[in-house]
Amino acid sequence: MNGPSAPLLVALQHADGQFPSGGFAFSQGLEASSSLAGRLGTFDFAAFVDIQIRHRWADADRIALVRAHRLAGDLEALAELDREVEASTFVEGLRSGSRRNGMALLTTHERIGTCGAAAYRAMVRKGDACGHLPVVQGLAWQALDLDEASAVAIGGYQMVASLATAAVRLGVVGAIDAQKVVARALPAIEAAARVPTGDDQPLRSFTPLCEIAVAMHGASGQRLFSN
Amino acid sequence: MDTRTSTHSPSPSRVGAARIGIGGPVGSGKTALIERLIPAFAARGVSLAIVTNDLVTAEDAERIRRSGLIDPARVAAVEAGACPHTVIREDPTLNIAAADDLEALFPDVELILIESGGDNLASTFSLDLVDWWMFVIDVAGGDDIPRKNGPGVLKCDLLVVNKTDLAPYVGVDLAAMAAQAATARAGRPMALTNCRSNEGVDAIADRIVSDVLFR
Repeated sequence: MNGPSAPLLVALQHADGQFPSGGFAFSQGLEASSSLAGRLGTFDFAAFVDIQIRHRWADADRIALVRAHRLAGDLEALAELDREVEASTFVEGLRSGSRRNGMALLTTHERIGTCGAAAYRAMVRKGDACGHLPVVQGLAWQALDLDEASAVAIGGYQMVASLATAAVRLGVVGAIDAQKVVARALPAIEAAARVPTGDDQPLRSFTPLCEIAVAMHGASGQRLFSN
Repeated sequence: MDTRTSTHSPSPSRVGAARIGIGGPVGSGKTALIERLIPAFAARGVSLAIVTNDLVTAEDAERIRRSGLIDPARVAAVEAGACPHTVIREDPTLNIAAADDLEALFPDVELILIESGGDNLASTFSLDLVDWWMFVIDVAGGDDIPRKNGPGVLKCDLLVVNKTDLAPYVGVDLAAMAAQAATARAGRPMALTNCRSNEGVDAIADRIVSDVLFR
C-alpha cells in the first residue's frame, strides 16, 4: 500500500479548521439570515448552505480563487483581481468581512513564510490591494504547490465547514446534524468545481435575501460574528 | 518535490510594540483595569493602544473610546465569533492584524493592551499574539477560584484579584484567597486591586514597565 502523497498532506493541513485564518469570526450572513428569519421568511440551514454554494461560491468565490491560483504569484495582477472582487461584492458587511478574513489568512501565511504572502500583505497594508479571501487563498495555495483542483476543493470545503461551525455556535443546528448537512453539500461543491473556468471569467453571485439580512443586521450593533 | 522547503521564505521576525493580554471572566473588571492603566501608563510616558474583543457588541471598545482617557482612534475592536477562547488562542490572526494596524497608524506606540472577551478559567493567550499576559478574577466570583486550578489562573504572567473591597460583603477571606492563589501559582506574581478606588493599579503599571518594556 502506498503512503499518502505530500500534496494530500499539505491539503489536509490547509483545509483544517485549526489552521489560523480568522474564519471562525465570520458567518457569511448566516447569523443575520437566521436571526432575521421572522422578517425575511423561514430559515433552513441546509437550504442556506445550498444557496451559498450554488449562487455565491460557484460563480464568484470559486472563480476568484481559480483565477488567483492561475496568476501564479503575479502580485500586480492579483491586486487587479482583488479590485474586481471588491467591485462585485455588493453588501458592505460581506465585502469588508472578505477583506478582513483575507488579511487574517495572509497574516498566518506571512508568519509561516509562504512565498509571496509578506509582499502581498505589504501591498494590502499600503492600500495597493484589497486582500479579499478567495484571492489570498489562490495566492497562498498556489505558492504551496497545491494544484488548482485541490485549491478549489479546500476553498469549497472550508466555506461549508465554516458555515457549519457558525451554525453550531449560534445554536441553529446540533454538531452532529451539522455534519449531515456538510455531507449533503459535498456533491454540490464537486459539481460546481467541475464547471470549466475561463481565465477572465466574470464574478457573479445572487443571494439577495442573505444580502438584505446582512445589511439590516450590520446596523443593529448586536452581532456575535463579523458578518 | 519537497514542499516543506521550496514554497516558504524565511519567517520575518516582528519588531514593534510590546503586546500584553488581559483575560478573565465576564465582569471581573478587565475594562475597569484598563481604564485605570491608561492614565498610569500616560504618567509613565508610555505610548499606548488598545484592542478589545467583545462577545456581541463593541461595547468595551466604545466605553474606552468615550472615556476621554485615550485618542479613540487608538482603540480597535475585534469580533469574537461567539468563541472568545479562539480569538486569543487557537486563531489570534484577527487580533494580530488589528494590533499591526494600530502600530502602522501610530508608529510611536510602545505598548498594545489586548483585552479578551469575557471567558472562563480555561482561557489562555497565544504567545503568537502577546508577549506577556495577565488574568483578572474578582473576589465576588468566589474564593474557590484559585483552588480550581484553571489554566488562566495558573499560566498567566500576573494574576490580578480585583474588587478586594467586596470581600467582607461576599463572605470571602481575602488573605486566605490570596494565599491559596499564591500556592496554586507556586509563588508566581499576583496583584490585589480595587479598580474602583485605583488601589494596586500603580504596582501593575510598574511591573509591566519593568518586566515587559524593560525600563
